[in-house]
Amino acid sequence: MALPVAILAATASAIGARIGPGWPTTIARNSIYVLFGLFTLALAVIIYAFFTRDFSLRIVVEHVSRDLNAAYTLSALYADKAGSMFFWGWLVSLFTAVLAFQKQGFHRQVKYYALTILAVVQVFFIALITLVVNVFEKQPSPVAEGFGLNPLLQNFGMLVHPPLLYLGFAGFAVVFALSMAALITRRAGAEWGAVVRRWAIFAWCTLGVGNLLGMWWSYNELGWGGYWAWDPVENAGLMPWLVGTAFIHSMAMRRRRRYLVTWSRLLIVFTFALTLLSPFITHGGIESPLHGFYGSTFPPYILAAILITLVGSSWLLYRHRDSGNEEKPASLVSKEGAFLLTNVILVVLAFIILAGTVLPRVIEAVAGVRITLDRSFFDRTCGPVMLVLVFFTGVCPLLGWGKAVWSPAERNAGYFLLAVLVITIAILVFGIGNWYIAVMMVCSFPLFIVLQEWYRGTRARHRARGENHFLAFLFLIGSNRARYGGFLAHIGIILITLGIIVSSFYNIERTATLDIGETMNIGKYELTYDELIFRQDNVRARAIASLSASRNGRPVGVMQPSYDYWFRHDDHFAEVAVRSTPAEDLFVSLVWTGFDPGDKSATFRVLVNPLIVWMWVGGGFFLLGGAVAFLAEDRQLYRDRV
Amino acid sequence: MKKKYLIGGVILILVVGYLLYLSFGSSVSYYLTVSEFLESGSEFHDTNVRVAGKIADSPVDWNAADLELRFDITEGGRNLPVIYQGAKPSGFKVGSNILVEGKGHPDGVFRASQIIMKCPSKYEPVE
Repeated sequence: MALPVAILAATASAIGARIGPGWPTTIARNSIYVLFGLFTLALAVIIYAFFTRDFSLRIVVEHVSRDLNAAYTLSALYADKAGSMFFWGWLVSLFTAVLAFQKQGFHRQVKYYALTILAVVQVFFIALITLVVNVFEKQPSPVAEGFGLNPLLQNFGMLVHPPLLYLGFAGFAVVFALSMAALITRRAGAEWGAVVRRWAIFAWCTLGVGNLLGMWWSYNELGWGGYWAWDPVENAGLMPWLVGTAFIHSMAMRRRRRYLVTWSRLLIVFTFALTLLSPFITHGGIESPLHGFYGSTFPPYILAAILITLVGSSWLLYRHRDSGNEEKPASLVSKEGAFLLTNVILVVLAFIILAGTVLPRVIEAVAGVRITLDRSFFDRTCGPVMLVLVFFTGVCPLLGWGKAVWSPAERNAGYFLLAVLVITIAILVFGIGNWYIAVMMVCSFPLFIVLQEWYRGTRARHRARGENHFLAFLFLIGSNRARYGGFLAHIGIILITLGIIVSSFYNIERTATLDIGETMNIGKYELTYDELIFRQDNVRARAIASLSASRNGRPVGVMQPSYDYWFRHDDHFAEVAVRSTPAEDLFVSLVWTGFDPGDKSATFRVLVNPLIVWMWVGGGFFLLGGAVAFLAEDRQLYRDRV
Repeated sequence: MKKKYLIGGVILILVVGYLLYLSFGSSVSYYLTVSEFLESGSEFHDTNVRVAGKIADSPVDWNAADLELRFDITEGGRNLPVIYQGAKPSGFKVGSNILVEGKGHPDGVFRASQIIMKCPSKYEPVE
């Protein structure tokens, strides 16, 4: 593979590009296209090898087998340690090519510095997947059949979750490059702001949805009935999203005023560094019980890349610091103040998670004592902080820019807030409910505010222009997509928060071994174990149970979880059965059976998870909000040069 | 102006620090290997501990009626018997890496409240 050569050429020419327009920029652009072409060619070769079942390659042998269907064959690429880095690198090269191709309104220097940085990022990826571990590594001795994809990864969620995360990671690399380029040249203007904003929203949205789909996968495939375990690998995906969220909000501030310029630069540096930390953790840099690629040789190189990023960017930030021309918020009780606070809270949250993830390893290295933190650490620290955050989602839209003035809407909100506080305190004092009800009350506040804002906007349009209410609502969103897209995303987050809180504290769980004809009760449900059917194909032997479920005595359907023995993996995997309603999920997992036609007794793990569906519905709102904000045309709003 | 930020920052750090401190104390558990655990005596009969080892090549007993799983884990040539209330997870095979979380007991059998398989992401070929 001549890829490293191509990369070096790209870097050199991109650096040369700063001298002036003409031949260096042409070389730079063309070498970036060539690079993308080579990357794509290599990708095509790998995919071709997957589909032709070329078992002379290691990557094919380890993840593909003849009976694997087309979609999962494709997903085998990111099931591999080198393959996933390859896919990420390919995305970076795709985005770099897009950036090179687009005609931006901003200064040429900014563009070519950004391309330089992205080319360097690609050099790193290519070095990793060719020099450290070769994607095209040959199998030492040829084999007739591969091992096939890990059964746990054969799920729709796993088809989409990793590529979305990598889209987000690669997108943040572009945002990082553009920000650093603007910092070096100091030639960023309104057009720069609009371009950065789009990339940032794109990356943030894909990363967010990617994380949520990971939770969906964990819930529907892993069979433990949960979706989040504060596992280091999960944290690795969440942290860049949190800091990225803070970055997006600080960009929104910058659109109005010259606030938080240095702060938002710092945020994007950390977001990018955290996206790099993610493979460091996933490839075994930090021990993760749930998933991860073991025996990977990547961690030291990734750690080096993170250090280079941090040191390099802080040097840039220091050298190009602008002194004293940043505005300061007039008052903390203003939109600026509230934005600043949410920013700080998001960063604190990410910091706590980072501490919880990394600290045990640091303590081990320093003190020689091995400790672990269980998930209660994260629940207890992040829970309250997240709640404050959700509360602020309600406060922000109310506060005006500059100094706050009370308007009728704010008075309404004030009354509502007062009612919430009174009820919450009453609940706590009289012990009617408990903390979780209080939490739900807090969540209702921002929801109320958003709905109120929508109602007022729609009514105003309806009156002023005579549009009917539905049209008026749509035009309202169209009129300020950035603002109302943000509202939609906030609704999504609130719904997700509600789903998480209620399902974690009000779920019921039972495990029982039943014989045919026996019943078990859980909550309002009664499950009768009717039958166990055995099926077999050349991949797995299945034991499929049928349980008829009834709720409050009314039959609601048949649940069919299965317990499968996969021959090639010599292991058992459960396929869960889930019945979702807006109120609650009934989750049935068959965790053990003897595969004995004479004794069909089987062990079932059953959970009733309330409101969990709203997490996925919230994800839909989040995506919709991201899309609306992405489509916002507001380059004239970036008045200030940054 | 500066002063306000400073005060805000200090309050923030104090609150976060307090939260961290509170949670750290109660959520932290020691993480030992089987041989380290066996040498610790009765130290972990009352406090939670995580013990890492491999599933030993000795009989695994699953009592479906009582939902009780009994097995041995091994490391450094020494075995530790474990009782766990729950079924075998995927990846539960002789030689697999496993983490058991729970408490020791005077009878020498570890009472696990949670077992975590450290599933290898790639499966070795079956020879």
